Amino acid sequence: MLEGVNYALYCLGLAFVFGIMRIINMAHGEFLVLGGYIAYWLLVKWGINPLLSLPLAAALAGGVSFLNYRIFLQRIRTTAELNTLILTFGIGIFLSNLYLQLWSADIRNIGVDWMENPLRLGGIYVSLGEIATFAVSLAGVLILHSFLRRTKMGKAIRITAIDRDAAALAGINVERVDLLAFGIGGLLAGLGGPLLGMLSFVSPGTGIAITIKAFILTVLAGVGSIRGLIVAGMILGVGEAMTVTFFSSSYRELFGFVLFLVILLVRPSGLFGKRI
Amino acid sequence: MSYLSFRLSEKMTAFITFVVVLALPFILSFNPYYLSIFISALILGSVSLAWNLLAGVCGQVSFGHAAFFGIGAYASALLVIKAGLNPFLAMVAAAMLGVLGALIIGIPAFRLRGPYFALSILGFAEVMKLLTLNLTRLTEGSKGIFNIPSLPLIKLWGRTFDFYISRTTNYYLAGALMFAIYLLIYFLRHSNIGLAMTAVRGDEETASGIGVPVFLTKITALTVSAFCTALMGAFYAHYIHFLNPDSAFDGSWSVMPIVGSLFGGIGTLIGPSIGALVIAGLDEFVFKRFFETGHKLFFGLLLAIVIVWAPAGLLGKWVKKK
Repeated sequence: MLEGVNYALYCLGLAFVFGIMRIINMAHGEFLVLGGYIAYWLLVKWGINPLLSLPLAAALAGGVSFLNYRIFLQRIRTTAELNTLILTFGIGIFLSNLYLQLWSADIRNIGVDWMENPLRLGGIYVSLGEIATFAVSLAGVLILHSFLRRTKMGKAIRITAIDRDAAALAGINVERVDLLAFGIGGLLAGLGGPLLGMLSFVSPGTGIAITIKAFILTVLAGVGSIRGLIVAGMILGVGEAMTVTFFSSSYRELFGFVLFLVILLVRPSGLFGKRI
Repeated sequence: MSYLSFRLSEKMTAFITFVVVLALPFILSFNPYYLSIFISALILGSVSLAWNLLAGVCGQVSFGHAAFFGIGAYASALLVIKAGLNPFLAMVAAAMLGVLGALIIGIPAFRLRGPYFALSILGFAEVMKLLTLNLTRLTEGSKGIFNIPSLPLIKLWGRTFDFYISRTTNYYLAGALMFAIYLLIYFLRHSNIGLAMTAVRGDEETASGIGVPVFLTKITALTVSAFCTALMGAFYAHYIHFLNPDSAFDGSWSVMPIVGSLFGGIGTLIGPSIGALVIAGLDEFVFKRFFETGHKLFFGLLLAIVIVWAPAGLLGKWVKKK
C-alpha cells in the first residue's frame, strides 16, 4: 500500500505531461533514473543524505527536461503525434546509453543505515526509509495538486489542458505553459528517482521499465486524474505483492501488463477518467 | 532547377539496392567476418521494411518489434528441436505464431487511438522476454538454447546449397527474404488495402467517414508486419544456432528498424532497408569504435536529429513518393 503512493509519484510526471499536452514522454523513466544517479553519487562521494539531495535531483532532471523541450520538441510540437513519440523515444535511448557509458550497467542502491531501522505501526513493521519515501511521495502529489488548484499559473495550465485554442484566445501564452509543464514533468521524475534508488535500485535499464509502468498506471487511472493515480498505484502495488506471494517474484511485472490489457478491453477510459 | 533535383523512382531505387546487395560480397569481400555483418544488416533491413509497413504506410508506430522477432526465433528453434519439424516449415509456422502474437496485442491496443498501441507493444516485448526467461521447461530460461539445427541442404540445378558452414548461402538467402518481403509490401501498398492504410495514416476520422474499416486495416498492417518480422527471427535462429532471451528479444530489434526507417526515409518503401543497411554498417565500423558499451546513444541522437531537422529521411529528398 505504501509503495502504491510511490508508484503514483513515479508516474506523476508522465501522466501530467500527457494530460496537458497529449504528449507521451518516452524518456520519462530516464529523467527519473537521472535523479536517482545524482542522489547516489552525492551520497557516495560526499555522504550527503539522499533526502537532502532531492531538490537538486529534481532541479537537474527538470532542467534537462526543459532543455529537451526547448531544443527538440518545440520544433515538432505541431506535427504528427507519431513524431513526438519517436523523438522522446530517441532521447530516452540516448540518455540510457549515456548512463551506460558513463556509469556502467551496475545496479546502484542508495542505502543508508537509519533507513533500515524498523518502526512498529499497529502490528506491522515498517522501515523508516519506507516511511520517508512515502512522506515525500505524498507531499509531491499534494503540492502538485494545490499548485494546479490555487496558483494562477496552475489555473493557466489546467485551462490549456481543457482547450488549447480557447486558452490562447483568452491571452494565455500556451507555448510557455507547454514549456513549464514539460519542465515540471521532468522535475517530478527527478524527485522520484532518489526514492526509487532508496527502495530498490537504479540502473541504465530501469528507465524504460518505469516508463512502461507509468503509462500503465496513467491508463489505469484515467487520463488527467491525480486522485486516480494514487488509487491505481495502490492497486498495482498490492497486485504485484500478491503475485510475488502466490506465484513467483519473476512474474511480478506480468501482473501490471495483464491488468493493462484487461483495462484497455473493458474500460479504456480508465477507472477515474471520462468516457472517451 | 539545380542538378540535385533529379529524382529516382521508387522501383529504380529498389532495383539498384538489390543489385548492390547481390554484388556486395564480390565488391568488398567474401571474408566470413564481413559476411556475418552483412547478414545481420540484411536481417535488420528486412525487419525495417516490415516496421515501415506499419509505421510509414499505416501510421502506427511500434516500439516493440523485438517481440515478434523473438517469438519467431524461439518458435522456429523449438519446433525443430522438440517437434522435429523441417526447418523451412518451422520458419513459416513460427511466422504464423508471430501473427498470433500480433493479434493478442493488436486487438486490445488498436481499440484506442493515439499512443496506446506504441506503448502497449513496448510492454508486450518486455513481457515476452520475461516469459521466455521464466518458462524454463520449454525455453531453457536464461541459459538459452544451443545447437539449433541449421537449414537443411538444398539441391537445385545440380548444385548443393549448404547452410551450415557457408556464410555465402546464408547471405543470399537473407537477401532473397528481404526481396520477398519487399515484393509483398510493394504489392500490398499498391492494392486497395494499401490505399486504406494510407488513408488511416492521413486521418483516421476521415478514413472511417469514407468507409475504410480502420480497425481491420490496422490489424492487417500489424499482422503482415509481424509475419515478416517473425520470419526473419526464425531465419536468425537457424543461422546463428544459439538463442537466449537477451539476444532474441534484444531491444535493438525494436530500435534499429526505427532508426533505419527514419534515416532511410519513412515515406518510401525501399528507404527503410537502405537506412538499416547504412546504420548497421555505421554501427559496426564507426559507433562501436567511439563508445564500446554505450554505442547505441548514437541511435537515439540520430533519431532525434532526423525527426526534427530531416523528417523525410535520407532518401525522402530524392525518391519520388509513390
